[in-house]
Amino acid sequence: MKNELKRTLLKRFHLTEIWVIFFILGIIMMNYPFVHIFYKPRQIFGIPAFFLYLYLGWLISICVIYLFVKATDLNEGKNKDKGEHR
Amino acid sequence: MLSVQLVAACSLFYIALLFMVAYFADKKQEQGQSIISNPHIYSLSIAVYATAWTFYGSVGKAATTGFDFLLIYLGPSLTVFSWWFLLRKIVRISKENNITSIADFISSRYGKSQWLGAIITIIAILGIMPYIALQLKAVSTTFSIITGHPDIHLLFQGGSFLPSPQPGFLSALLLSIFGIVFGARHLVSSERHEGLVAAIAVESIVKLIAFMSVGVFVTYFVFDGFSDIFSRLQARDPALHDHLTTFGEAGEVSYSNWFTILYLSMGAIIMLPRQFHILVIENSSEAHIKDAMWRFPAYMFLINIFVVPIALGGILLTGSNSGADYFVLTLPLSSGHPWLALLAFLGGFSAAAGMVMVESVAISTMFLNHLVMPIIVKLKPRSWFSVLLINLKRFGIFLVVFLGYLYYGIVGETYMLVNMGLISFAAAAQFGPALIGGLYWRRGNKAGAITGIVLGFVIWFYTLMVPSFVKSGWWQSDILEKGPLGLDLLRPTELFGLTGLDIWTNAMFWSMLFNIGSYLACSIILPQDDTEKEQVIKFVDVFKEVQEEVPWETKRLTKPVTVMQFVNLMTKFIGESQSHSAIAEYLGDGEIDEKGGVSEFELPRLKRFIEKTLAGSLGGAAAGAIVESYLSDIGSKMESVYDIFSTVRSELSESREALSVRLRASEIMNRTLDLSIIMYDLLELIRKEFKFDLAVIRLIDAEGKLATRSYSGTPIPSIIKREITPDINTYIGDAFLSNRPGFLNDTRHHTKSESKELIEREGIRSFAHIPIAREGEPPVGVLSVFSSSIIGLYTQPFIDLLASLAGQLAQAVKIDSEMKAKERERQQKELALLENARVAKEMEIAKQIQLSLLPSSPPALTGTSFASRCIPATHVGGDYYDFFQRGDEIVDIIIADVSGHSVGAALIMVETRSVLRAQIPSTNSTGAILAMLNELLYEDLTSAELFITMFFIKYDARSRLLTYSSAGHNHPLLYRPGALSCIELDAEGLIIGVKRGVAFEERSLQLQQGDILLMYTDGITEAQNSAGELFGERRLCQILASAQYESPELLIDRILDEVAAFTETLPLQDDVSIVIMKVI
Repeated sequence: MKNELKRTLLKRFHLTEIWVIFFILGIIMMNYPFVHIFYKPRQIFGIPAFFLYLYLGWLISICVIYLFVKATDLNEGKNKDKGEHR
Repeated sequence: MLSVQLVAACSLFYIALLFMVAYFADKKQEQGQSIISNPHIYSLSIAVYATAWTFYGSVGKAATTGFDFLLIYLGPSLTVFSWWFLLRKIVRISKENNITSIADFISSRYGKSQWLGAIITIIAILGIMPYIALQLKAVSTTFSIITGHPDIHLLFQGGSFLPSPQPGFLSALLLSIFGIVFGARHLVSSERHEGLVAAIAVESIVKLIAFMSVGVFVTYFVFDGFSDIFSRLQARDPALHDHLTTFGEAGEVSYSNWFTILYLSMGAIIMLPRQFHILVIENSSEAHIKDAMWRFPAYMFLINIFVVPIALGGILLTGSNSGADYFVLTLPLSSGHPWLALLAFLGGFSAAAGMVMVESVAISTMFLNHLVMPIIVKLKPRSWFSVLLINLKRFGIFLVVFLGYLYYGIVGETYMLVNMGLISFAAAAQFGPALIGGLYWRRGNKAGAITGIVLGFVIWFYTLMVPSFVKSGWWQSDILEKGPLGLDLLRPTELFGLTGLDIWTNAMFWSMLFNIGSYLACSIILPQDDTEKEQVIKFVDVFKEVQEEVPWETKRLTKPVTVMQFVNLMTKFIGESQSHSAIAEYLGDGEIDEKGGVSEFELPRLKRFIEKTLAGSLGGAAAGAIVESYLSDIGSKMESVYDIFSTVRSELSESREALSVRLRASEIMNRTLDLSIIMYDLLELIRKEFKFDLAVIRLIDAEGKLATRSYSGTPIPSIIKREITPDINTYIGDAFLSNRPGFLNDTRHHTKSESKELIEREGIRSFAHIPIAREGEPPVGVLSVFSSSIIGLYTQPFIDLLASLAGQLAQAVKIDSEMKAKERERQQKELALLENARVAKEMEIAKQIQLSLLPSSPPALTGTSFASRCIPATHVGGDYYDFFQRGDEIVDIIIADVSGHSVGAALIMVETRSVLRAQIPSTNSTGAILAMLNELLYEDLTSAELFITMFFIKYDARSRLLTYSSAGHNHPLLYRPGALSCIELDAEGLIIGVKRGVAFEERSLQLQQGDILLMYTDGITEAQNSAGELFGERRLCQILASAQYESPELLIDRILDEVAAFTETLPLQDDVSIVIMKVI
């Protein structure tokens, strides 16, 4: 069951569409009105919320890319040349 | 403060280090080992994006307007998500088409347009000026700050005769020399510059370490971490704190400004010429993109993490944000850490130098390929061109850097670093619609791209460059306030009355509106030409698994060009060794004919290869122009083949027309077996379908000549009447003998002189000879088609189609000839049967004649009774018996057997009879007669290779005396009543016809009443039964004994019955003759 899920996920990760979706998601999160949520001048742990939002969001997106790239690598290792250019 | 000498020495040492790294990388590349071909170096080299702007400008921006500096890096980090489909596609296309720059890329997409390439290059050169200026400004200013001197030129004060240069001049000189050394040593620009990339990677590391060192120092040593800085600022100046940590008031940092900068930076990461160069041209493997997708944002993240602390810390320490651009340098200096300041200076220098190097290399390549080459290609190629070109490229680098220097001189101190950079970003963004549209939208065309980019550029210049000139005071004008000629609506920063927006949003909104709008409009309204369509497939469909290649050439060269001619052309532009290795790679083990050319179908492919190779050095547009102008010089050009198949292709990549022709051809073949109808119908089909003037089928005849069997169309007597002996010197003979289709797309370029006269006299413009042959068999004829109007009719698939029709025809010819052969055989058999019947009838007649030569009835002799019978085995035979009666009492009885039972034997028998008849009266002696007969017949028998056995008896009925002689015949049997056995009559004598002068013994025997004399030929005694047993004399004698009282006639019947019973069903092997004489 777990393997099955993993395989399905890996298969999905390989698709170009996933990158497009992330791309659009990123643009939404960087745009009005989303950024407006953190507009307020307040601090969390002594650090401005907006600063935290931008830097943490950035860090998370880098981690997501890292994970997906690694997933793609794994997936490609399993079925080489298959569906390379979908 | 540090001494000038120390800073200069450290800088030079650092430069030397970079040179060594670059030199080492280049050496390794020459040895075939790449130290840069890995995702780490690739990711680090992309970080050339972080220039002096990042290093100094970000802090400045953060200290004045807040977090919007971060958008410059968040934009690219967002774009990274698209790299897997967007950047990878661009890289794939660029590798497959030897793309050299972004100008080359876009102009190639739109039909290799030279105009488009030139426009993009001009925009890139002008657009990048502020960006270069930014770097020069940063380098010279930081040098002044760290040394405390106004500028480097002070070094030369004191007795130097050098004119005192402007601030930044030496920086410009130094950086352009950098560019030349790292980027313009070779001409080939599609090749990777490993030294350059290695140096950039080292610089990226240096600037990251330097910036982070300063960041850690300020955040954790000067202050007590992030929250300390924020809380201190809030305590000291809450308004400034809120201003910097949120959006400012509308108009300054509003949402619109936020988005504009975000989108500008998203575009810049790919469309800035240097980013395109590093990301695409210097990419060595698509797999590296994947790693760079997270490494590059991570780098950006790290280099930006301390920007805000340094900026805010700077404000806290200095009390204001003036001079915030150089906090990175001034904070360590003012806090008494000059070495940290020196590290920061080197970091900033790295950032600036890296950018200028790559930018100048990228732009100079574009300058050479898209501005210089279009002029060069108009000139006649010369051998020194390759030297000229490389030096022009070097000049291009100087030009780019010094244009930046010029802009720096003009705008100088007016703008902050970041704002100068953004002007360049906005220029690069103008490439966006044409670039992205070109990757995914098939309809996007050259006209759209040119209009879009030009309009976008004009608006960019008007809304961003013009204000920058005015603000700097270089151009005294009130255009910003009142608009040109007092037209309010056209104020550059509030174009068309659009107020309330910041300068960037205003510029981007209008330029993009016009850019995208005209790109879409022109692309939809105007058509694409052929080259554009060809390029669209190469770009948009680059990832199609089986790239939809045009399955055959639809172009041809009007005049063939040899491989050597192409090589010579290439040599003039890219040098001898490169062009030779390129052509060697192309040809591989391909075929070159005896004249050093490749086949006509191959030529367009070769031409494209030459273009691609040249494109690697000169850019696609120039390469195309060079090859085209060369071809037109030698009087050849590419032209469309007369595409008989039209452009509608079926699933099987075969035209509907071709399929329909095949179908109709097989209908013709199946409709009838009559070859002449098939041939005529097929010719009619081919001629009408493909608009030939004449179509002829010739088949090889018994004499080995190709004779016209059928034709369709306007008869040309000299063609259809001609019987051709296949000969290699004629096109038709060549096609027939080699069993390969021969054709001439343009008879003006004929190569076989023998056919010349005919071609000219009859006005044939093109023709083809297709051997009519089944698979793997020699041809049986030739299918010829002639056109007196259309040139360039034959493409590979067309020839293939004709060959397949000829193959079908060959099958029909084969069936026809097999049918004819069967018919002939049948007739022959019939004739043979008839002949046999005729012969049989003749033989029957001969048989009757022969039988009639035998005595019709035995002689009537007192005291004796005779019976005789002859049964030939075939129609005629060699057996013979006769009676010659001399008076009433004496009778001569002869029985003879000519060897064989052929017609020859029958004739000899007849001759023997004649001779006997003539000779018998002349003598009474039986021996003498045989001797005489031997003499007379000897020659005839010898020549006929026959001989005769004969027994001659003379019987005197009065005395009952039997006289006899034998010529080797079977012994007659004499049966005496009461005897147990028969007496065999024998006498000495040789077979007749063996030897001359033979004497025959004559014996006598007294017969008695009741004696039965049986004379016979060997057909009786040698009759065989199925067990192979002979009938023999003993059985014969028994018959005589058992039936001694019967009449001779019945005796014969009895004997024949017994023989027949003995042999059962077997037919008689030999003639059978029996003569019986019974003494009464």
